[in-house]
Amino acid sequence: MHHLIPLLAAVPLFGAALLVATGRRLSRAAAEITGFVFSGGTAALALVLLLNSAPPMTEWVGGWLPVDAESVGILVVGDGPALGMAALASLLTLAALAYSWRYFDQPPRERTGSFTALMLVFQGAMCGFAVAGDLFNAFVFFELMSVVAYALTGYRIDEAKAVQGALAFGVVNSLGAYAMLMGIALLYARTGELAMAKIGRGLDAAAGPGGPDALVLASFVLVLTGLLVKATAVPFHFWLPDAHAVAPTPVCMLLSGVMVELGSYGVWRVYGTVFAGPGGIPAADLTRALVTLGTLTAVTGAVMCWYQRHIKRLLACSTVAHTGLFLVGLGVLTPEGDDGVALYLLGHAGVKAALFACAGVLLDRFGSVDEHALHGRARRLRATGVMFAVGAAALAGLPPFGTALGKAVAEEAVGGPLTAVYVVVSAITGGAVLRVTARVFLGLGPRPQEAEYEISGSDEEPETSGRLRRIPDTMTTVPAVLLAASLAVGVVPGFGALVARSVNEAGSGGAHASVHWTGHGLLLDAASTVLAAALAGLAVTRPRRAAAPDRAAPLRRLQSGHVGDYVAWLLVGAAFLGALALPGVLGG
Amino acid sequence: MNRLRLGLLAVGGAGLAALLVAACLDLPDFGGSRHPYGDRAVRASLARHIANTIASVNFDQRAYDTLGEMSILFAAVLGCVVLLREARDERRARPEPAEVVRPVRRYALLVLPVALLTGLYVIAHGQLSPGGGFQGGVVAATGLHLLYLGADHGALERVRPLGFFETADSLGVCAYLVLGAAGVLAGTAFLANTLLPYGTFDTLSSGGTVPLLNAAVGMEVASAVVVLLAHFLDQAVEIEEEPGR
Repeated sequence: MHHLIPLLAAVPLFGAALLVATGRRLSRAAAEITGFVFSGGTAALALVLLLNSAPPMTEWVGGWLPVDAESVGILVVGDGPALGMAALASLLTLAALAYSWRYFDQPPRERTGSFTALMLVFQGAMCGFAVAGDLFNAFVFFELMSVVAYALTGYRIDEAKAVQGALAFGVVNSLGAYAMLMGIALLYARTGELAMAKIGRGLDAAAGPGGPDALVLASFVLVLTGLLVKATAVPFHFWLPDAHAVAPTPVCMLLSGVMVELGSYGVWRVYGTVFAGPGGIPAADLTRALVTLGTLTAVTGAVMCWYQRHIKRLLACSTVAHTGLFLVGLGVLTPEGDDGVALYLLGHAGVKAALFACAGVLLDRFGSVDEHALHGRARRLRATGVMFAVGAAALAGLPPFGTALGKAVAEEAVGGPLTAVYVVVSAITGGAVLRVTARVFLGLGPRPQEAEYEISGSDEEPETSGRLRRIPDTMTTVPAVLLAASLAVGVVPGFGALVARSVNEAGSGGAHASVHWTGHGLLLDAASTVLAAALAGLAVTRPRRAAAPDRAAPLRRLQSGHVGDYVAWLLVGAAFLGALALPGVLGG
Repeated sequence: MNRLRLGLLAVGGAGLAALLVAACLDLPDFGGSRHPYGDRAVRASLARHIANTIASVNFDQRAYDTLGEMSILFAAVLGCVVLLREARDERRARPEPAEVVRPVRRYALLVLPVALLTGLYVIAHGQLSPGGGFQGGVVAATGLHLLYLGADHGALERVRPLGFFETADSLGVCAYLVLGAAGVLAGTAFLANTLLPYGTFDTLSSGGTVPLLNAAVGMEVASAVVVLLAHFLDQAVEIEEEPGR
């Protein structure tokens, strides 16, 4: 069974190559069916492997089994989190392909399969990154994932905004990747190894009595910078709203639903395998770094999210906020925190992809994703409206959605004032989406006044050929299925415990935690849902009081669209991360 | 905003630079004798009769990384093809035949076959001497473009059927994947080099699947670079913005 793990990356790549080879002769339907077959086949493979992942599998690609505990080959891992992320990426790709079935306006003539081919490469890259157990191999698939994502983001070349967003995405993420590569080089110089577990052991063996030195700190900072750029932690997050606002909707579903989360997953994997030993970064420093950055990210994302009127930007900023919550949950380094984040991440993926899918319906029906311009115009899109409202409530943490279960478990793990961060941040993001629902789908409240400094979402090109008159069934079914999946994460009995067991088997030092609904968690979830509803109600009935105050303006002006600014922030972020982790090196 | 940016750049850059300098002071000294990975890689390479250890690392020991790397090139070219397509406000214009100075033309046409042959040689001897699919592919593909310097865009387009090269590009990837999957079907592992005999050391057929994987990469890289340059040349020479927009 373990021989099949590398095929998770290979099968979608093969499908993409076939599509490009035959692209000139295929009809559109044939190309899309090919896409479904390869994407769906990979998803099925990931699920089968996942069911067989206890105890965790490992595989040496090329059959280079270790001799005397040393190998020249590449290790891929088949534990629960790795295969779970691969399955999540595959299922979301399948959903995105179904969503774009025949309606997404593809470029004409001779390029029939190229969009589907790019999506397949994206899927293969995400799967490859998820199962990587070798740091350099992880970097290779990280790069592949980035390269495809740039092309997919800039897909609609007729719009200047799309090209700008893709460029900012490309520059910032490439710099992150260079940082990561430099970090890998430092680790290789110290240990002569590339497999993550072997690097970890090498660091422990090389560490003197003084603990980690500057080289370990620098490699930690550089590798984590690359991963945190992908995960959009503040201040590496600036590229994300620019890219998500312009990427085609099916691509947004993947970017926000799983690619960004793979950054957080990478942080968990790399810290746990490489830096967690006595020669790595002490736990207290990691906690300080991740909890500080995570809290900053969550708060910044929530504030930015609340003050958006461009619906896709709003959803993108809510992804930033939730990333912050994930990082806080991982940063406390408890088995409960890991389990909570894993469940939260699964629930969030379904909800966020569904919300993007609904925003895409608005875009294709009205040629606009602007909350103010669409005021009351979508009253007749009842199904989409209901799903948008349900998605908003799930984002805020309405039980029994998977988001609520994961949030409750993580809240219990972080404890103290950080619990308040969880409740407030999820309430604000959920409230912002509820506010959009109330205005756009119900036409409640007065039409908001025009403000000065705003990015509106009007004058957007629909992604279909011409505006839709009737919403095709695929575009309503896909978000419904995604929401149902997110609900299933919370309700299916035993699923939470299963996820927790497989996460703890792979990491968390082998400690096991039990995961279930508790009265305390339900109460906090209810609180954040009520708070979200209250915020949305306030914003709709008293638009002046909830409009952007001057205090939030400087924060929003930082999102300047200038790539140079984003690069400067990236350097500051890396230096800040180094400063946060410094005490462990000095103290030793 | 400009001053804020410079300030941030100075602070962040200084912090990061200090960290990197401190890290570099902790690097192992130059010329040390401890090379754990290098020693293992050379042993593994010799055991499989591969004269060029780098080829052994690329196409045998870490062939899975090479799959990722060739996919990056494949995806980048596919992405460029999609992004460089004709926008709505662009149209194609046939470029005028260009005059080329006689010495340039003579030199380019003289060197063209030599460059092509060199490229193919470098690909074919990948597992024996420095070079291989990546390097040779680029040499061969750019060699073809001497025709653009020696003659003009029209002449290049006649010898370069783009559809053929796009197909060859993806077939290169397919071939690599099929060779990899053969290992799984044979019950060993993905990309396992255990199916073919290792042959005589230092001959063209030595090294099991290494020459085949190397050739697949050579085909992919050569075609990918041709397609990539073709689209950039099109953008520069043929595609124009529509007047009045």
